Amino acid sequence: MKIRGRGIVPGHAAGTAIVSHAPFSFVGGVDPRTGEVLDQATETMRPRLQGRIFAFPSGKGSTVGSYLIYGLAKAGNGPAGIVNARTEAIVAVGATLAGIPLVDRVDVGGLRTGDRMTVDGDRGTVELPDVQATPVVSVILRNRARILIVRRSEDVGSFRGRWSAVSGYLEGREDPKHRATQEVREETGLRGLTFRATGAPILARDNARMYVVHPFLFDAPNRQVRLDWENVEHRWIRPEELDRFDTVPRLSEVVATVLGRASDAAG
Amino acid sequence: MRLTQAHRRLLEAGTNAQRTSLRILETVARISEAERLVPIASAHVSGASYKLIGDAGLDFLEDFARDAKVAVPTTVNPLGTDLAQWRDLGVPPEFAEKQGRIARAYVAMGVQPIFSCTPYLLGVRPKFGDHLAWAESNAVCFANSVLGARSNRESGPSALAAAVVGATPDYGLHTDRARLPTVVVTADTKPRGIDYSLIGLVAGEQVGDGLPFFRGFRGNETDLKWLGAALASSGSCAMFHLEGVTPETRKVRVRGLKSLRITRADLTAAKRAHTDGTEAEMIGLGSPQLSAEELKEVARKVERRPPRIPVWVFTSRIVRDANPEAVAALERNGGRVLADTCLEVTLLEHRFGTVATPSGKGAYYLPSLCKQKVIFDDLDRLLERYA
Repeated sequence: MKIRGRGIVPGHAAGTAIVSHAPFSFVGGVDPRTGEVLDQATETMRPRLQGRIFAFPSGKGSTVGSYLIYGLAKAGNGPAGIVNARTEAIVAVGATLAGIPLVDRVDVGGLRTGDRMTVDGDRGTVELPDVQATPVVSVILRNRARILIVRRSEDVGSFRGRWSAVSGYLEGREDPKHRATQEVREETGLRGLTFRATGAPILARDNARMYVVHPFLFDAPNRQVRLDWENVEHRWIRPEELDRFDTVPRLSEVVATVLGRASDAAG
Repeated sequence: MRLTQAHRRLLEAGTNAQRTSLRILETVARISEAERLVPIASAHVSGASYKLIGDAGLDFLEDFARDAKVAVPTTVNPLGTDLAQWRDLGVPPEFAEKQGRIARAYVAMGVQPIFSCTPYLLGVRPKFGDHLAWAESNAVCFANSVLGARSNRESGPSALAAAVVGATPDYGLHTDRARLPTVVVTADTKPRGIDYSLIGLVAGEQVGDGLPFFRGFRGNETDLKWLGAALASSGSCAMFHLEGVTPETRKVRVRGLKSLRITRADLTAAKRAHTDGTEAEMIGLGSPQLSAEELKEVARKVERRPPRIPVWVFTSRIVRDANPEAVAALERNGGRVLADTCLEVTLLEHRFGTVATPSGKGAYYLPSLCKQKVIFDDLDRLLERYA
């Protein structure tokens, strides 16, 4: 699959990924002599950055980080490429000094340490040759501050028995918002919805498959849900209760994205 | 981003340093979605103390200095020690040697050998409306707020790149829109002395990266230097307005903005919150460096009432050299006047565990940058306590 982001530092790189899911500081986070990652947020213990694609949400810490990235590259211990969700000047300037291609606006939550990937800093894309993209919609329905979750039946193709939002596959060039309203009608019988928010796609990983989740928030006029075969149970919960349920991957990010967007728009 | 023909030529046929610099500016412009570069009147670079930038910074600067030349008047932040006094201070020779190399690398690039956090006091004073690429947070805050010049909070390398190219990406505080206040902060306290630092610390914590419009008090340039330095430490503010005082307040509309109130109780609480020491081993005066007037005033006070712990004053080389009597008075009373360095970037921790200071910025950074305990109080109170 190919992920479209934003090219920040030009150039091309290929390698296997080291992924950190927390903001990363090169100062204290990397051994400057060896390029070993000391930060515990990466999934494997003390991997070396040399020749790898280093993916993390954003940089943090002191601007000395820029010099450290330069020093790592000069000694041949630097990463081959960098992928961020939101880059900032410390990492981006360091990558520029070091000549390391950098792409941002990529949801690193869907990436895994060990993924093979190529980074194209000119076009602003990241490609994962071993991963298949599956575009889906995920619809958060809201009624008086509660949101709807449904438990997937044993007859569906993926994530059987897990809690989810109303969701469905996008086919061809179908408009995601249209698909979202269709799915709500089929899976819940609810009508008279009011569109509230959408956001950038969220990447939810299931081994060699990457669900490219288009998130939506609609307000529902009532809570009278009539389930179809795809789901066996439903609940209207407060958003903060979500972590008590065994959900499909990254459902909480979907909820946070659209609720955040909705409150931005209201404020 | 659109480049001028001159900049395109730099990118194709310039020196290594010029090409690297333009690429840095392009990177910053991409992140901030700036569409062009704006010419700058001066640059001020951070990242000169070996204590902070270490071998990684030294290594980069020596490489970069091979063919880098700044294109506009450029100053640089304080060093990690006073290179004329390091032996007396007990600074390890290796530290002093590497610190000297950092200073020489900057000078080789054509940077003025003014290692100061107060470039606005030292002859490179920006004019109203000048665009700048400055990196020291207190200097940026002063230039934007008090002088009406325009600078974002640059990083060390981005300010250096701007100095080499003579331009910086046009976004943020270079544009009119970003200079409007986001929050009104009223402080009806008749501040004096340390109160300006306290107002800055309290407001910075509350407004984060917002742009405060202060009202309810007045202050001179020195007062606003201390306010801005503290504000830029506890918050990531790069500018403030003060009603009836700073130059861009008249055009500003504050109706409908969120408003905050700072009381005397808030200031007292902030002072307490930034004091974690019990007995100070020295009084540190700087952060930002003291002006000539401030140096002379401290010397007078110390002469009148000699303290039993050393008073170290941090200032610029220019001010130190121009005021030998004040320097002698402080030294006579067990103190020192250190030049080209400053309170929290200098090597202090090898000698002192607890530092007393009236600087809000100092009180904010000493615990983290120097692992020191702090007694944060007014200078007169400190001199009384340690008489």
